[in-house]
Order: sequence, then C-alpha cells, then structure tokens
Amino acid sequence: MRANALLLGTACAVLLGTAPAWAEPITLHALMEDVPETTIIEAMLPEFQKETGINVEFQKLVYSDMHDKLVTQLTGPESYYNLLEVDFLWAGEFPAAGWLADLQPFVDKSKFNLQPFIPAMLDLVGRYKGGLYMIPMYNYSMGLIYRTDLLKDAKLPPTLGDYVELVKSMKAKAGVAGAAMQSQRGDPNSMEFSNFLFASGGRYLDDNGKVALDSPEARTALKLYVDAVQHGAQEGALSATLDDTLRLMCDDKAFSMVTYWWMLPQLDDAKKCPSVAGKVALSVMPGGHGESGGWGWGIPKNESPELQQAAWTFIEWVQSKKVEVARALQGHAPVRSDVFEAPEVLAKYPYYKAAEAVVASGMAFPVFAYSAQYEDVLGTQLSLAAAGQTSVDAAIKAAAAGLENLKKKAE
Amino acid sequence: MIDAVGATRNVTRRAESVRRPQGSRRWWRALGPSRARLTGWKFAAPGVLLIVLVMGFPLAYAIALALSSMTLLHPHLAPFAGLDNFAAAVADPFFWNSLRITVAYSLFTVAAEYVLGLVVALGLNKVVRLKPVYFAILTVPMAMSPVSVGLVWHMLLQPNLGIINHVLSNLGLGGVNWLGSTRLAFWAVAGVDVWQQVSFVILILAAGLASLPKEPYEAAAIDGATSWQQFRYLTLPMLRPVSAITIIIQLINEFRTYDLVYVLTRGGPGVSTDILSYFAYRRAFLGLALNEGAAISFVLLLIVLGLTAAFFAVTTRRS
Repeated sequence: MRANALLLGTACAVLLGTAPAWAEPITLHALMEDVPETTIIEAMLPEFQKETGINVEFQKLVYSDMHDKLVTQLTGPESYYNLLEVDFLWAGEFPAAGWLADLQPFVDKSKFNLQPFIPAMLDLVGRYKGGLYMIPMYNYSMGLIYRTDLLKDAKLPPTLGDYVELVKSMKAKAGVAGAAMQSQRGDPNSMEFSNFLFASGGRYLDDNGKVALDSPEARTALKLYVDAVQHGAQEGALSATLDDTLRLMCDDKAFSMVTYWWMLPQLDDAKKCPSVAGKVALSVMPGGHGESGGWGWGIPKNESPELQQAAWTFIEWVQSKKVEVARALQGHAPVRSDVFEAPEVLAKYPYYKAAEAVVASGMAFPVFAYSAQYEDVLGTQLSLAAAGQTSVDAAIKAAAAGLENLKKKAE
Repeated sequence: MIDAVGATRNVTRRAESVRRPQGSRRWWRALGPSRARLTGWKFAAPGVLLIVLVMGFPLAYAIALALSSMTLLHPHLAPFAGLDNFAAAVADPFFWNSLRITVAYSLFTVAAEYVLGLVVALGLNKVVRLKPVYFAILTVPMAMSPVSVGLVWHMLLQPNLGIINHVLSNLGLGGVNWLGSTRLAFWAVAGVDVWQQVSFVILILAAGLASLPKEPYEAAAIDGATSWQQFRYLTLPMLRPVSAITIIIQLINEFRTYDLVYVLTRGGPGVSTDILSYFAYRRAFLGLALNEGAAISFVLLLIVLGLTAAFFAVTTRRS
C-alpha cells in the first residue's frame, strides 16, 4: 500500500514537473509600426489565440526606430522577434542578407492561395530574385488628401505645378498651411518627394533598371517641391514627420497633405478629428502617379522550425479573406483584390474605389539591398535643397550619383 | 696580517650569506617582493578582468571591425581592409562638415554649461534654507534619459502646436521655427542639451565650492578684497582641479551626443545638425557598413582622447 502510494506520488511529481514543458503555449513576438493597421490586428489577436492556442505579442514602435532594432536582432544567432513586419524598403535588403526564411514551402504545404493578392503588391513586398520571402500585409500607396470645404466648388488641379500654386494661394489667403508637409530628412522627405517625382513624369530607374534620376522631369519635381516647402507648407516643415502632418490636418490647420491613403479614415473619424471629419477627400496625386508602398509579413531564418510554423499559421490566418475583410471594415488598407471589391467593404467605405485607383497608379521607390541608405542619401540632398543650402541642379546630380554608387555596391 | 685577512673573509662571507639566502627559506625570502606583487595581482585580478571584458574587449573588437571588411551583408571580418574604412569616411564630403559641427557643438555646450553651472553653483553656495529641495529639483533633468528629453522638447518646440511658440505668439512675439530652420536648429538642439546637462555641472561645482577652505577668504576680507577679487583670485584658482575634471567629463559627453539629434532633427535640416556620432550611425545601420561606422567612431575616440590629454596638460602646467 505504502509502496503504491509512493509510486503514485512519484508519477504525479514527474507529470507535474514535465507538464509545463509540453503545455507551455507558443508565443510569437512581432515588432510592429505604431499605426492604425497594427491596432486593428491587435484587437483581433484574442480570436487567433482562441482558434490556434498561439499567443501573439506586438511591440509597437515608430517607423524610424524599427529598422535598426530589427537588424540588430536578425544579425544575432536567434531573433527575439519570430514574426516580422517588413517594409517594402527593406524587401531587398533582408532577403539579400539572408535573414528571411523562404515562404514558398509553407505556401505549398498549406495550399495557401496567392491568386487574390494584387500582383503589384506581391512584386513589391513578396518576391525577391525569384523567391517568396514575404506575404503582403497592407498597402500604403500615397495620394493627396485635401479639404473639400476649403476648395469649395473648385476642382483639384490636374497637374503638379497647378497644385503647388493652389497650395501657395491657400497659405496666403485661407489662413491655413496649403500643405502639411513631412519634410524631415530621411524617410519622410524621400517618400514625399517621390510623389512629386512620379507626378512630374520622372523616374528613379528606367525600364532596364538603369538610373534615370538625372532628368529635366526630376529637376522640375524638385523645384516644385522646394517651392511648396518654402511657400506653401507649415512653419517647420523641414523637421516635420508623418505624425506632425496628421496632427496639423486633424487640427484644421492645413488644406492638404501628400500622404498615405489610409490616413483618410483617421481624419474622417468624428471622434478623433471633429474639426475636419466629413470635410476630407482622397485623390490620386495631381499628375497621375504617386508613390507605392506596402508592408509584408516575414519569418526570420534564425528561428526554430516550430516557431516558424507558428508564425506561418498566423500569417495564413491574418491574410485570409475572412480576416482581411474584417480588418478592412475597420479601415485596413487591403492587399487582396477580393477584399477591395467586397460589397460590405465598399458599402461602408465608398472611397475605397479611389483608394484602389491610388494603389493601381502607384510607382515604386527603388527596392534593393541599400534602399534604406538611399533614402538617407536622397533625403539629405532634398533637405539641403529645400533649406536653400544647395541648388536644385546640384541636388539632383548628387542624388542620381548616390543611387548609381549604391546600385553598383549592391551588385 | 693573516688574522686580518681571515677576519675580512669572515665579514665578506657573512655579508654574502645575508645577500644570498640559503635553502628553501632563503629562496622564498629572495622572492619576497615578487610574491607581494603576485598577491597584489591576485587581489586586483577580478577588477582587471572585469575592465578587460567590459572595456577592453569591445574596444579591441571595434578596432578589428574598423580594419575589417565586415558589413551587415558580409558578416565576416576577413579580408583585412587596412585603413580603407578610414579613407572612405574621410573621403565623404559630409564627414568634414560633421566634424566641424561636432567640435562647434561640443565647445559651445561645454562652455555654456560651465558658465551657467558656475553661476548657479555660486548662488547655491550662499543659500542656507531649502538647499536639499533645490538640489532635488536639479537632479530631475539629469535623471531623465536623453531620448525622453528629446521627445518632450520636440513637442515643446513644435512650431505650430508647441507650447513655447504659443506663449511667444500670445506675447505678440510671433512663432519661431526652432528645429526647421538651418540657422536655429543647431542652437535649439544645443540649448536642449545644455538644459539637461547643466544640472550635473552645477552639482559637481557646488560640491567643489563647499569643500574650499574658509581661511583664505577671511584673510582676503581683512585685507579689503572685494567680492570680485575674492572670486577672481581665490575661488577660480582653488576650484581649478574640480573645473578641469568637470570640463573633461562634459567634453567627452558632448562629443558622444547622439540621442538628442536623433530624436529632434535627424541631422537636418540639410546637414546643419549632422554631428559625427549620427554620421557614424548612418554609415553603420543605414549603410549596413559596420566597419565604416566603427572607423568613424574610432576617429571620434581619438579626437576625444587628444582633447582630454591636451586639457590635462594645460591645467596641470598651470597648477
């Protein structure tokens, strides 16, 4: 009897001792940009946890700090972040450095259907040199958001030059900044200027991948950009970021902003921006083209197969049509055409049609291993030109030479 | 004669026996001083090891990086790059701009912190009541991380929605483009830095002033010296060692400034606040070139070491 009790006790102790090892749930850690898209997904995480038993924790950070934090993790033997949110600007760098796992085996194994994904999005933030390293998460193509009440009966001008004139006149006459501009050196001004470049008919690279920035169109674009910063934008535009511009628009202090189209639902929210809600609209950039952008999901190479599988389970779930539609109903910027065209989504947000046009007309910043450094090189020249410390001609020449050098380095 | 020679030999032998210890005891005695040294090293070993691990290893690794081909896309030290990374850094036209800005920034902030710190410390030296309260308030900026300080000041200096411009506008002075103007951004960042760092200078100088002897002042007062003369000929010379240390510590701190620039301006507008540490960061993390970043950091280290040595030499000679 006593021996049996001892045996039972030992067995229980062994079971209790080992229980945590196999009962411990998997937790995925993701470094996420602190934007509404993240908040929307975060609110749905309990649902995923309930379905799969996998925990997901988001650490939210401003964009500018994300790259360095991810790079330091990915260069180590093991990454704390086992689920990655990858910007399209790093979509060349991360696979080139060998930090991302190839997702094609996961797609094949789970029979995940890639057909509904917008091809431009898969090319921008999915494939790299033939491999599939990311699954598109959301798009952030850029367009023009403007105040309909300040424009009154007038229509938006069709060309970039006319838009800059309008911006200047708004600043002079309407008592608001004509444009809330995010012209801080680096990512903010590079992204913003790209819209001016594409709207003027300029390109970073030609169809053969050769540098095409040193062109009359690029000079026109930069001339207009400098003019807008100096005479149409808010005070302090050269140190302003995306957050600053959003606050200005929300606070009824600006007529327009060249920005990510998903800012519209934020500005149109009467709770968040009561002064301007119902008075804002979205348009394709005057000139017909704006900057394309997007984020993708990736899985670090330096992770165990179990964690990689768990990360894939999450990606498969969060980018399924059902979840994407649910996200879109809360303001998500879709990457699947079947979500853009879903009747319930269009019924709630009629301007998703305009958004689809913005996405469709978007053109991309050069994606290669040194995209992040190129933003810095270009951003410095743009800032120097906008501050009047260098000429438009010299800035374009230096920016084109910088792109040429980095392209060579990457090759 | 023979006896005298024998006696001499005996004395010599005795002397030699004293000089040359015999047997194991004598051998230990001969090594006495070395053993003491060995024991000393044993006691010092944990500290030395810690310094080697914490400071020596990273420094050696940084040197190796600076002389290597390691980038984030090529994560190997080989092949040896010699001085190529230094040459690449120096060849960049923005390097010299960054160096110039760093030197100007460091000299201005240290000078401002010292002058302001001394004025406040002298005032506090005369305060009798509520001294602990003043010191407690002074430690607040010092206890804040530079990133938090940067974020707070970024909001305060915001040209359209910031409090400072709001107050200035209400006073009829109009808003100021603090961080977006190439003329003002440098001074705005430096001003925020002084705001945070001056507390440290005040505390050190106040401690130095409190430790000065009273007798020279009493003698000077009897001789009819004015307050200015007492300050000029007693306080300043007696405070020189404390001042020297304070200035050196602050000079090193300011040369390493990075966080404030990162949060407030990202080196802009243009390149007006592009200090050397931010330049190194851009090379290392945006350019993925850890080797070039390390080389630039090493240049920064050499400059700081040179300045520190020069400052020590000057103050020691004067002392």
